[in-house]
Amino acid sequence: MALLSRQPWLVATGLLVPLFTLASPGWLKLAGVPPAWAVLWLLPWALSEGRRAGSAAGLGLGLLLDALHPGPASLVPGLVLLGWWWGRMGRKAPPIQRSFSLGLLALVGTALLNLSLILQWALLSWREAAALLGRVEGLAGGAEALRQAGPQASLLALPLWRWQDLSSVGLQVLLAQTLLTALLAPMLCSLQLLFWRQVGAGWRGSSV
Amino acid sequence: MAPVRLPRVGVLLPLLRLWPWLLVLLALVAVRLSKGSGVTDVYGLLSRPFWPGSAQQEWIRAAERLGDQARLDQLERENRRLRGLLELPAAEGRQLQVAVISREPGGWWQQLVLGKGSLQGIGVGDAVVAPGGLIGLVASTTPTTSTVRLLSDPSSRVGVWVGRSRHHGLLTGLGTGRPLLRFLEKDPDVRPGDVIFSSPASTLVPPNLPVGVIQRINLDADPAPEALVQLSAPADAVDWVQVLLP
Repeated sequence: MALLSRQPWLVATGLLVPLFTLASPGWLKLAGVPPAWAVLWLLPWALSEGRRAGSAAGLGLGLLLDALHPGPASLVPGLVLLGWWWGRMGRKAPPIQRSFSLGLLALVGTALLNLSLILQWALLSWREAAALLGRVEGLAGGAEALRQAGPQASLLALPLWRWQDLSSVGLQVLLAQTLLTALLAPMLCSLQLLFWRQVGAGWRGSSV
Repeated sequence: MAPVRLPRVGVLLPLLRLWPWLLVLLALVAVRLSKGSGVTDVYGLLSRPFWPGSAQQEWIRAAERLGDQARLDQLERENRRLRGLLELPAAEGRQLQVAVISREPGGWWQQLVLGKGSLQGIGVGDAVVAPGGLIGLVASTTPTTSTVRLLSDPSSRVGVWVGRSRHHGLLTGLGTGRPLLRFLEKDPDVRPGDVIFSSPASTLVPPNLPVGVIQRINLDADPAPEALVQLSAPADAVDWVQVLLP
């Protein structure tokens, strides 16, 4: 019943995340990279509601945001992990009040979320590179002809994010999003945390 | 017999009276020998207020644009006719003007969201062009929106060719604004500044859409020579695009 009583707010604010992701204005981007709106929403929710609600919200939010992107990498693992971690922290540790702490948590969380994506891209890249190697070995018999006429078109396709691009462009994306999210978190997350705690206190008071 | 005395001053007197005309003659000779530089300089100075102004330049440019457009129309008609004779697929079909409602040119996914979808006839794989050339292909559609995977996205792969040398290659996004072109030939006759177009051999995109300009070439790359391409259409700044419907 606790979650049900807050469902309208949960759904309404949760739906704002993909809308904000789609409508990020240019002036709120750093090097073309928007802030991690999912982190800015999930952090106060998980701190207020605990690890189960945090993980569930991370899963739902991840599925919602994955629907916006055509790529094979998913935000779900990173968001579920963050929801669980922040939920556990909210229940086990003393209540977090300071804006600096929220900023720091958002910074670490955004970095972890981006690292989970980098890991997925690296795995996908490694898998495609292995498949490519298999195709090359399959063509070993025609190696001389290959040298004469140039490579086959199927060998020219790059395996999505290459490692050298991940370590340059990917790192730039990670740094830009982490910095931007950490700057916004003290303001946005503290307001949301206050709101969720007020809603939660009201419900707990009436149910006891 | 007395010696004959030559008249000395008497003959020179008329010449002395003509000295102003001689000066004029000398000046004219000087002008002739200098190819009229003084005259044209003076003319240029005096006629400067009456030189053709910006209005005339605009007229000439408009006339040039008109001429270019007519020539382009003629070439397109000729191209359609020849493609029909060769039984090749049509270069382009209907065009649909669509507004960009969300853009994500940086980050992990480089994409645009357009304000029209499958209800208006947009389908997956349709080519999307902006002022400047091709910017990507439609990756997914909903009834009222469609998502465009930009050419800079690492999962984007499009067949292109170099307009000048007609060498084919595969253009792959790198996550930056400059995708990588890998050539099919070992010795592609290309140089920085060459314009690349969508390949006529491609089954994904209509042929000969401008894509970008080659910036840097690495002929020693393995397994094929590579080039970095600067895209000609600014995907992070366009507000309206055209979807080429089949």
